[in-house]
Amino acid sequence: MRLTRSAGLSLTSPWILTFGLIWAFPVVYSLYIGFTDYRLLADSYRWIGWANYTELLGDPDFLAALKNTFIFVIGTIPVTTVLALGMALLVNRQFPGRSIFRSAFFLPSITSMVVVALIFTNLLSRGGYISFLASSVGLDPPAHGFLYDNSTALYAIMAMDVWMSVGYYMLIFLAGLKSIPDELYEAAEIAGASCGRTFFSVTLPLLRPVALFVIVINSIKSFQVFVEIFVMTKGKFDTATAVYFIYEQGLTTAFRIGYASAAAYVLFVIIGTFSIAQFLLIRRKASTW
Amino acid sequence: MRCLVFVLSLLWLLSASAPLAQTTVQWWQFWTDPGIRPTIVEMVSEFEQQNPDIKVNLTDLTWASGHEKIVLAFASGTAPDVVELGSDWIAQFADAGRLADLTDHAGPQRPEYQGWSMATYEDRVYAKPWILGTRVLYFNRDLLTRAGFAEDFVPLSFQELDDAVTRIQALSGNVYGWGSNTPEKHRLYKKFLPFFWSARARLFSDDGRFCVVSSQKAVDALKFYKKLHDCCGYVADQRGLEDAFLDGKIGFILSGDWLLKRIELENRKMNFGTSLVPAPDPTFGTGRKFVPGFKTAVYPGRSFEGGEFLAVSATSRNRAAALKLIDFVTSPENQIRFCKANRSANPSSRTAQGDEYFQSHPQLQTFVMQLNLANHPPVDPNWVYMETEIEKAVEEVIFNNALPGETLRQLNKTLTGLLEK
Repeated sequence: MRLTRSAGLSLTSPWILTFGLIWAFPVVYSLYIGFTDYRLLADSYRWIGWANYTELLGDPDFLAALKNTFIFVIGTIPVTTVLALGMALLVNRQFPGRSIFRSAFFLPSITSMVVVALIFTNLLSRGGYISFLASSVGLDPPAHGFLYDNSTALYAIMAMDVWMSVGYYMLIFLAGLKSIPDELYEAAEIAGASCGRTFFSVTLPLLRPVALFVIVINSIKSFQVFVEIFVMTKGKFDTATAVYFIYEQGLTTAFRIGYASAAAYVLFVIIGTFSIAQFLLIRRKASTW
Repeated sequence: MRCLVFVLSLLWLLSASAPLAQTTVQWWQFWTDPGIRPTIVEMVSEFEQQNPDIKVNLTDLTWASGHEKIVLAFASGTAPDVVELGSDWIAQFADAGRLADLTDHAGPQRPEYQGWSMATYEDRVYAKPWILGTRVLYFNRDLLTRAGFAEDFVPLSFQELDDAVTRIQALSGNVYGWGSNTPEKHRLYKKFLPFFWSARARLFSDDGRFCVVSSQKAVDALKFYKKLHDCCGYVADQRGLEDAFLDGKIGFILSGDWLLKRIELENRKMNFGTSLVPAPDPTFGTGRKFVPGFKTAVYPGRSFEGGEFLAVSATSRNRAAALKLIDFVTSPENQIRFCKANRSANPSSRTAQGDEYFQSHPQLQTFVMQLNLANHPPVDPNWVYMETEIEKAVEEVIFNNALPGETLRQLNKTLTGLLEK
C-alpha cells in the first residue's frame, strides 16, 4: 500500500510541483504582497497591514473601475445567457442549413479577442459602419465615434463582448438540450402542454445545472474583462475595469505591486461572493421549478 | 630545460591560436522598424569589427511594452548593459539606483552634445543623449488655400491658428480643422504642454518647490486647447490622427518627425507644410493689455522636448565596453547615418546637426529650429505620475467638460502632493 502511495506521488509530482510553483505559490505570495508597500523599482518593502485595502476603498479610480466592472457584468450576463439559450433552442430544431447557423454563431468565440476588438474599433469609429447604421435609422451617433464618448464607450464594448461570447454559451446550452430525454417532451405533448409550458416545465428545469455553469463561468469571465478594454480604449472614456486598474497599478506607471495585489484580492472576494450567491440563488429557485 | 622550453612554446602557440576572450554587451533598443533596424544592425557589426574583443547582443523592445520590460529587468536583476531610455524615464530609474553614474564620462563630451539636462538628476548624469525629438505644427496647404489663405500663410499666433482651423472646418467635404488627441497615455500631455508653455504658463516655480499649474496663463492655454477641440476637432489616437491628416481630412496637427518619414515612405502626394508652434498674440487671454505695434506673436511658441538616451545599467559588469558602444553609436557620423535612414530631424550631436542633410531640408529645419524653442518636463522620479495627473486633468476638461480653472486648481493640489513626496 505504502509503495503504491509513493508511486502515485512520484507520478503526480510533476503536476504537484507545477501547481505549487506556478499557481499556489503566486496566489499565496500575492496575498502577502498585498499587505506590503512593494514597488518594482524599490530596493525593499515593508509590511503596512491593511493600508493598501483602506487606500483602495477611498481611491476614486478603483471605485470607478469597480462600478464599470459591475455595469459590465450586470449588463452582459443576462443578455448573453438569454441570447445563448434562444439561439441554442433555435439551432436545436431541424431545418435546412442548421449546421451553417451553428458554425456561424460559434465562429466569433473562436476568433482572437484582439482581432475582434480591432475590427469593432473600426466599426464603432466615427464614420464607421455602426455610426452609418445608426444615422440611417435616424439615431444621432456620437460625434467622435462610439468609443470616444463617455456615455457610449463601455456599452459599445459590452455589446461586442455579448456578440463574441454568445456562440460559446449557445454550444453549452445545446449540449444541455441534447441531454434532455425525448420521452419527456413526448409525455408533455401527450399531456397537451403548450410550447411555453413545455419550455418552462421541462426544458428550463432540466437545463438548470447548465444554466448555472454558464452564468458562473460568464460572471467570472466578465469580472475579469481586460483585453477588450486594453485594445479598444486603454481604460479611457470611463471604461477602466477592475482588472485594467490592477494592470495599470501593478505593471505600468507606478509599478505598485503591493497595491495591485490588494486590488486583485478585493476582486477575488467579489467574484467568490458573487459565484456563491449565484449557486445559492439558483439552487433555491430550483426547488420552486 | 628542454622540456621547459617545449612547454612554454606550446603554451605560447596555444594562446596565439586561441580566439580572443570576448566581452558580450547586451543592448536593448527600440528601433524595430524595418526601415531603420538594418542600420542599427550594420552599426553593431561595424562596432564589432572595430572591437573584436566585444560582442553585442541586440534585443528589440516595443514602445507598447518596452518600459514595463525594462522595469521588470531592473527589478529582477537581469537588466542589459546598455539600454535605450525615453527622456521621461531617466529620473525614475536614476532615483531607484538602477543606472550607472556617467558624470565623469560625460564631462569632456558635454559641449558636443545637446540634451544633457534631460539626463541629469541631482547634478549627476545618468545617460547620454542620442536622438532628440520635438513636435511641430503640420498643416495641409491645399485645405488652407481652399479656405482662402495665401500660399505662404503660416499661423504665427494662437489667434491666427484659431482663425485658420475654424475656416478649414467650415469647408465642405467632411474635413476638420484640428487633429485632437484622445486621452492616450503618454501622448495627450505632449500635445497640451506646447500650448501651455507657449502661453508662458509654468508647471513649477523656478526653484522647483511649488506647483504653479493653475495660473491664469495655464487656464487660458487649456481653454484655447479645448476651443480647438470643440470647434474643429477630429478626435483619434496619434496614429489615427496621422492617418486622417495623410488622407487630407485634417487641416492642422501637432506631430513629430516620424510623420515626415511616413509621408515620404507612403508616397503620399499631399501638399503640406510644417511650422513652429504658434504663440499667443499680445491680447491672448484675460487681464492682458494690447501692446501697440505688435501685430503677431511677441515671442515664439514653445514645444515639447524629449529624446532617446543610452544608459548603462548600474549592475553592468561590462561598463567599459558598454560606454565604448554608446560612444560609437552616438558619434556624429553614426548619428547622421541613423538620421538619414530614419528621416530623423534632431541628432543630439552638434557636429551632426551642422551636416548639410539637416541644413538643406526645409521641413527638417523646422524641427531643428523648434528644438531650440522647446521645453522638457522636470527631471523628477515622480514625473511619470505627474504626467498621468496632467493627462487626467486635460481629459476632464476636453472630454467631460469640466471647468478649466477648477480642474487646474485640483491638479495644482495633486502635483503639489507629488512634489512633496
